[in-house]
Amino acid sequence: MILKNKVFYAALGILLCQGSVTVFAGEQLNVWAIGAEGKLIRQAAEIFEARNPGVKVVTQGIPWTGAHEKLVTAVVGNMAPDISQMGTTWMPEFRAMNAIEPLDGFMGSSALDTADFFPGARDSNYYQDKWYGLPWYVDTRVMYYRTDLAAKAGYKKLPADWESFYKFSKALKASKNGGYAFSLPTNDWQIFLMFYWQNGGELLKDSPLTAGKFEGTIGYLKRFFDEDLAPLEGGNDTDQLTAIESGNYPVFISGPWMISQLQTNKPLLNGRWATAPLPAGEKRASFMGGCNLVLFRSSPNKALAWKFMEFLAGPEMQARWYTLSGDLPASRKAWLAPALAKNPQLASFRVELDTAKAPPQVAEWENIAGNINDAVEEAVFGRVTPQAAREKLSARIEKILAKSERQQSVAFKIGLALFLFLLPVCAVLLHLRKGPRAAPGGKFQPIALLFLLPAVLILAVFLFIPIIASFIASMTNWNMYGVNDWSKVVFVGLENYSGLLRDPVFLAGLRNTLVFAFIGVPVSVTLSLAMALALNAQVLRAKAFFRVAYFIPVITTMVAVAMIWRWLYNPEFGLFNLALSYVGLPGQNWLSNQWLALPSLILMAVWKGFGYNTIIFVAALQSIPDSLYESIALDGASTRQEFWYITLPMLRNTAFFVIVMTTIGYLQFFAEPYIMTGGGPLNSTMSVVLYMYQQGFKFYNLGYASAMAYILFGLIFAFTAVQFRVQKKMEGNF
Amino acid sequence: MAAVRHSPAYKFVFYAFMLVSVVITLFPFVWMLSTSFKSPGEIFTKTPTILPQLWTLDGYRNLFAAVNMWLHFFNSVIYAVSITVLSVLFNAMAAYAFAKLKFPGREKLFALLLVTMMVPGQVTMLPVFLILKSMGLLNSYAGLVLPGTAAVFAIFMIRQFMTEIPEEILEAARIDGFSEFAIFWRIMLPLCRPIIATLTVFSFIGAWNDFLWPLIIMLREDKYTLPVALAGLNGQYNTDWGLLMAGAVVVVLPAVIIFLMAQKHYIKGIAAGAVKG
Repeated sequence: MILKNKVFYAALGILLCQGSVTVFAGEQLNVWAIGAEGKLIRQAAEIFEARNPGVKVVTQGIPWTGAHEKLVTAVVGNMAPDISQMGTTWMPEFRAMNAIEPLDGFMGSSALDTADFFPGARDSNYYQDKWYGLPWYVDTRVMYYRTDLAAKAGYKKLPADWESFYKFSKALKASKNGGYAFSLPTNDWQIFLMFYWQNGGELLKDSPLTAGKFEGTIGYLKRFFDEDLAPLEGGNDTDQLTAIESGNYPVFISGPWMISQLQTNKPLLNGRWATAPLPAGEKRASFMGGCNLVLFRSSPNKALAWKFMEFLAGPEMQARWYTLSGDLPASRKAWLAPALAKNPQLASFRVELDTAKAPPQVAEWENIAGNINDAVEEAVFGRVTPQAAREKLSARIEKILAKSERQQSVAFKIGLALFLFLLPVCAVLLHLRKGPRAAPGGKFQPIALLFLLPAVLILAVFLFIPIIASFIASMTNWNMYGVNDWSKVVFVGLENYSGLLRDPVFLAGLRNTLVFAFIGVPVSVTLSLAMALALNAQVLRAKAFFRVAYFIPVITTMVAVAMIWRWLYNPEFGLFNLALSYVGLPGQNWLSNQWLALPSLILMAVWKGFGYNTIIFVAALQSIPDSLYESIALDGASTRQEFWYITLPMLRNTAFFVIVMTTIGYLQFFAEPYIMTGGGPLNSTMSVVLYMYQQGFKFYNLGYASAMAYILFGLIFAFTAVQFRVQKKMEGNF
Repeated sequence: MAAVRHSPAYKFVFYAFMLVSVVITLFPFVWMLSTSFKSPGEIFTKTPTILPQLWTLDGYRNLFAAVNMWLHFFNSVIYAVSITVLSVLFNAMAAYAFAKLKFPGREKLFALLLVTMMVPGQVTMLPVFLILKSMGLLNSYAGLVLPGTAAVFAIFMIRQFMTEIPEEILEAARIDGFSEFAIFWRIMLPLCRPIIATLTVFSFIGAWNDFLWPLIIMLREDKYTLPVALAGLNGQYNTDWGLLMAGAVVVVLPAVIIFLMAQKHYIKGIAAGAVKG
């Protein structure tokens, strides 16, 4: 009771606080920042407020997960703040949406020295002679390695060029028993690009890729895999912290965040690891990451907003920001501050930052990057020759970048949209009218409409209309250029659909989705039923406990579930490989082997989901009247007969519901590959909905994604129709 | 069910099976709980232990220091409770109409609803967002809650349950002069207790764990729900697992409590004595 009161007063207090927000008379700025910066920026804002009396900076934090979606919808919904933090690779996209304001007008009268920024940090802000943002902080990649193990192999420090690094890796592997030298992911385009740039390769300059340089890079990397210096399969799901501790992979590539991770999580390792610049090929090149600050076009207070951006990007605040957040400054002058200049771990980052490169400034970059991953993976796995991989990738990139010149008049577009809108509406009306006009059983109970009203009204507005809208969208080229500007959207007929049927990733997704449903649904439903019967068994005591236990996987948040399953599947020390080793079998790369990854995800999905259906079955079992069992028991029926003649027939309705729903759910398979594998390796866990999500919400090809949804819809419709037919037939037999 | 005597051997095998399956389902939960009490050095090791070797409350301390837990908890409760109450009511009403009332086009309308369930929800998100924008409901509780208050899945589930309830019960009530609302409220809902309890749990958990929708709709940080606020603690590259797991525990516990409360309604034999034709 006391606790209840406390909660009540806490709630009341919150309500009162919210009611009494004082109206602020001076100027106000709304600023969004992402992740940890979302909290820390408050401190920078306070310094700014102190220097500019009368100004109030309202900061809001956004989680990294979902930040991209949040920013896009904010632009579409006219809810964007004045300033936001923005990932460097998102810049072109928001420029394409015409959402961000060029800053050159403010720069003329500003003391900010733009030549002070690292060239790679400048590149993501500077486009066609205009500044669209300011660098806020940077990060780049370096080598992390075990100094003690390197010394054992006869090296005092990491070699500085490609060839000697390769020799070092061989010596390192030879000097220890077991394990690898180097952890090298095959599904990370950033890693590939660094090597490609080091090799003198260029991206989207004259041609999409440089012939020869691409092949050379693949050749260099493939040697590490072919000679077992780096694991071909295990590199993607290595837990780097544990891997460097065990010495199984004593060298890996990572960013500045890894310094504090190693220090806090592996204190025993202190003094036995160091960072080094990446080995140089023809030249030095690392990846320039980090974040920029942008000013939104919709901002009503641009002059003041610029003042705050200028303040954050200047060398003084950048150096101070490092001490607050640990973020590396984008300003070279800020690096002269002792906290940065004298930190030995940061020296390698400073070296790389001068030459680190940002990916090309095209709005379609995310899509291109995904294709780079696919091409590199296929080449290092030996599926195709490096040359064929390059040619295929170049063709893909050219296709992605090809812009449609099609123009359609507004009247034509509105007319066609109306026609396409009325088409399904008329079909629905016809469908409802056709057949017997009278209600089944003859009587019409008008009160029924009252019962239907709330649900049907809400479904009409928030389900029917959006479905028709997305159906119309599936016949347009709606993409990021049109997200905020309808005039750029044109009808393309069935082009999206025909394109999909020739898209190998989509076809792979379709195949995986079917495999997933064909295996997952029977296993999951049978397991649910068995568990529900067990939970209902008379002998079982403490039923509440067991019910909760089976339901726990359903309630547990996906983040926690993913962390634990990742650990279970870990190739180095996971529980599954431990179990295999007890029976003398070799360990497996559960999530990165192209044959095992999908079954591994099915197992996880069944584990996570079976409790859901179990509970539905348990609820249904309660409704079977005891009298039925009593009467059959009097006839001397066995438990088995009870099950076949009473329980199963009485569960028919529920079982049908469960099977239909589970099939629909499994055909929309998404969460597990999204969070565990991202669709890899080699698209072996790519599902239709995951691909749809990537195309729709990562690349903003909304028309293409909608078309995918309708192909999947057709598939689900066919499945469900078959299930209904089977049920009708079976009903006749009872 | 008639009392059946089971041999001790049967009981032993049965309980052994139940215990093994419980270990499998509970393991990750226990793991999450124990990780939330571990210090960073203990979380990633080659040989992790089930129980922390060194218990620490740092995860929880950091959690409560980093975000205003009461505020976000309160937001989440408002969101989840209003969605649950409205959706259970609306969906049960519609299900009653589909299961037990007569009106022209009943089967057709129901088939139409089922068809809409087959369209993946992801494609309708942006159109729903634009509709809410045109209604001026962005950044409001109404905009947050309304789209979730009717669900075909739920209507389907209750309807399947209600069709099993014998017509005779309703006829008797009608003869006694009950209005349709009285029948729905005083007879159907109590008869459907197990399935209503199940649906309550599903709606509550769905809304409670929902992430993307509240993030997109709510503009101000003080309106964030618990999962959104907790996701904000995740770095782009850095993850403080102790803190994250403490957050996961705080999110999961209310859901477990709701389920514990709801499962009490799985009472045997409410519809007992039902005449099955």
